[in-house]
Formats: sequence, structure tokens, C-alpha cells
Amino acid sequence: MIKLHNVGKSFSRFQAIKSVSLTIDKGEIYGIIGASGAGKSTLLRLMNLLELPDEGEVEVNGQKLTNLSSKELRQARKSIGMIFQHFNLVANKTVYENVAVPLKLANFPRNERKSRVVECLRFVGLENLIDKYPAQLSGGQKQRVAIARALANSPQVLLCDEPTSSLDPNTTAEILEVLENINKSLGVTVVIVSHEMEVIKSICNRVTVMAAGEIYETVSIEPKRTQVINNSPSYFVEQLIKDGEINNA
Amino acid sequence: MPEILVQYEAEIWSSIGETFVMVGVSILAAILIGHPVGTLLFLCKKGQVLENRIVFSTLNLLVNITRSFPFLLLVVFLIPFTRLIIGTAIGTAAATVPLSIIAIAHYSRLVEQSLLDVPRGVMEAAISMGASVKDIIFKFLYVEARSGLVLGLTTSIISFISYSTIMGVVGGGGIGDFAIRYGYQQFKTELMIYMIIIMVIFVQLIQFIGTTVSRMIDKR
Repeated sequence: MIKLHNVGKSFSRFQAIKSVSLTIDKGEIYGIIGASGAGKSTLLRLMNLLELPDEGEVEVNGQKLTNLSSKELRQARKSIGMIFQHFNLVANKTVYENVAVPLKLANFPRNERKSRVVECLRFVGLENLIDKYPAQLSGGQKQRVAIARALANSPQVLLCDEPTSSLDPNTTAEILEVLENINKSLGVTVVIVSHEMEVIKSICNRVTVMAAGEIYETVSIEPKRTQVINNSPSYFVEQLIKDGEINNA
Repeated sequence: MPEILVQYEAEIWSSIGETFVMVGVSILAAILIGHPVGTLLFLCKKGQVLENRIVFSTLNLLVNITRSFPFLLLVVFLIPFTRLIIGTAIGTAAATVPLSIIAIAHYSRLVEQSLLDVPRGVMEAAISMGASVKDIIFKFLYVEARSGLVLGLTTSIISFISYSTIMGVVGGGGIGDFAIRYGYQQFKTELMIYMIIIMVIFVQLIQFIGTTVSRMIDKR
């Protein structure tokens, strides 16, 4: 589904990605993990050419993106969804309008737009917030809107750039559940970049570990399923004092 | 109404009319030309979707040069140009030429600044969903920057009023010119103060409308 072939990318004199090749199969939930500055986000952003590679080829869904004209690339991007750490919703548009934008860009038939938007919002469980503005939503809800927006044009691939890194543990689990559901019920190939081990371990079936702009290793794992994390105050206290004494004085 | 205002009522109304014409044409020029120029300035910047050093540097230099002129000198400097397009360098119509030029330079800079406030991530989201440059501008940039654009236009309009007050030098008329000729030069200080009050009311009103509209359309 996604093939990178000897892809390299530098920012001025810093080599962010050094000739990386990898293949992601259709229907996978693929993780990319690594320390800050390891190049994981850049690698993801190369998959829809949000960053243009200095060398190498990027192929998604059978199309060599690196060979396309800018018009063809825009077309190809409509079937590659993407979500971000900071959601990147248009703050002056309602939830409905945010999800409708990609449909307008793709010239989705006007009279079917509304039902498609509602369908996408229902999928992420937000159909009752349709007229709210992003500022009125919680972080988890914003990310759901972003997911609905990314799904609107029925993409083959969903690229997730640190999708849960600004969310609390419970919300993280909810978002991961949504992503898993997208993969299972819609057959969308999901690529997740994260620095959080728990996130990667809970839903990915193959993971690439990045270090210094290169693939350190790629491993297949058994996803341990998303689990809603205990958020009670007593649990927080228990975890805090577990490994070491607490001074109650 | 004070007697002196009654005495000059006709002149006051016609100078208010002249100010309206001069400021109105400036606003039109700012919106029709300054707005696109400001957008282009932003889009051609380094790292933006139409990155182009030549276009950016040229526009940037033109805007800077225009804004460097003491406005009175710009008016005088532009006299041949004004004569070329209006046929005369004297009168209210002629006065709109230098006013429009400064309006374009002034507002385009404010447009550029408002667009810079749009989060980088929103632009990236737009690009990632396959938006064309036109879509990015109209469906993302202007939507997200709209309250800043309104505030920028408000600031600009108030500057235009101020610029228009010196257009008496080329026979442009207007409230400012009236205040100088009757109030200052004929020692009718009272009349001058009334004219200042009229200007203050205009500016207050415009600022109030601008701030209110900008707040209403800001959902961020």
C-alpha cells in the first residue's frame, strides 16, 4: 500500500532521513516509534509528500507520488487522510463545516454532502456536536472531528502524526479505539507515529523503530488491544507511591 | 446647534462629502488591490505555498518604499502620475490617486500580518487534503484570519481619514482642509474644534463597528 524506496530528506544541513526504504501492506496498523529528532514525523510526512524528499521514490496505493504533477498529487492526496497532534481544525468553521471541506475539495455531490458528513461524525460518535465550533470541544472531541474530516473522502490510508500526544490517557484509549475501528471495519491502512510506547504497543501489528534518521529495526508484534486506563484519583495516588516511599509528614 | 455651524452648514456638509469620497475610494483600492497584494506577499514568503523570492522581494520593496514617503511628499511626487490618469492634479478626484496608493501599501502589509497568524498546522491540513492554492486561500486562510483582516481594515480606514485631512494641498477638500482654512487660517478656533469633534466621532464609530464585527466573526 505504501512503499518508500531509498528516500532521503535534509533540512538545510541536517539530514533528517537517510535513505530509508520500507513497505507497508494493505490493512496494516503500522507504527513508527523513536526518540525526538529520530525522523519519525518526517518519515510520515514524506508519505503524502507534505515534505518533498531530496531523493528516492514514494509510492502510495500503486501511484508513484514522486512522479506526479502537482494537480495529480492533489488528487492523490484526497485518498490519503491525515491527522495531527494539534488537530489542525479550522477554528472559524463549525464541526459540520470542517468535515464538509474535504468533500467540497473533491467535488462530492452537493446533495449527498450533508448525509456523508453526518455519517462520518456518527462513526466517531460526535453527530450531536455538529454545530459546535472547535473551541467548544475537548481535545479528544477535536481529534475525533479531525478523524471524521480525514475519513470524509473514504481514504485508503490514514496517516497519524502523534495523534494522542496532547491527550490524557483515557482520551488516548478512546482515540486508539476509533483508529482500530477504522482499520477493522473500513479496511483503511493506518500509519501511526508516536513517541508513546503504550500507544504503539496497543494497536500496531508492525512497528519500525527509527534512530538518527534511519530504520533501526522493524518488528512484528501482537497488538495488546486498547484498554481504557484507570483514571480514578485513588489509582493516580497508588501509581505515584508504588515505586518508592512517599513522605506523609 | 451653535450659530457658527449653522452659518457654515453647507460648506461643512460638502467637506464631509469630500472626505467620504476620498476615504471611500481609498477603502475600495485597499480591498480590491491591497488585499490581493497582501495575500501574495504572504504566499510568496519563504516556506509558503507560492514561495517566490523575486515576487516577494519586489512587492516587499514597493510597499516599504511607498510607506517610507512622508505622505505630503508622496502626494507631490505623484502629481505627474495623477495628471496622467485623472487629467488633472487638482481636486477631490485627483486627491484619490495618492490616497489609493498609500491605502494599497498600508492595507497590504496588514493583510500579510493577519495571514501570518494562521497556524502553520491549518495550512498543512489543507495541503494534506489536496487543496489547491485557491482553496487554501478561500477555504482556509481567509476563514481563519477573518477577524484579524477586519481589524486591519479598521485600522487602515482610520489612517485613511487621517491621510485625507492634508489633501487640501492639492485642492482635495475634506473636513481637515475645511478645519485648516476656516478654523486655523481665519482664526475661527471654535469652528476648528467642532471639526475635530466630528472627526473623533467618525473614528470612534468606525473603531466600534470594526471591533464589534471582528469579535462577532471570531470563533477561535
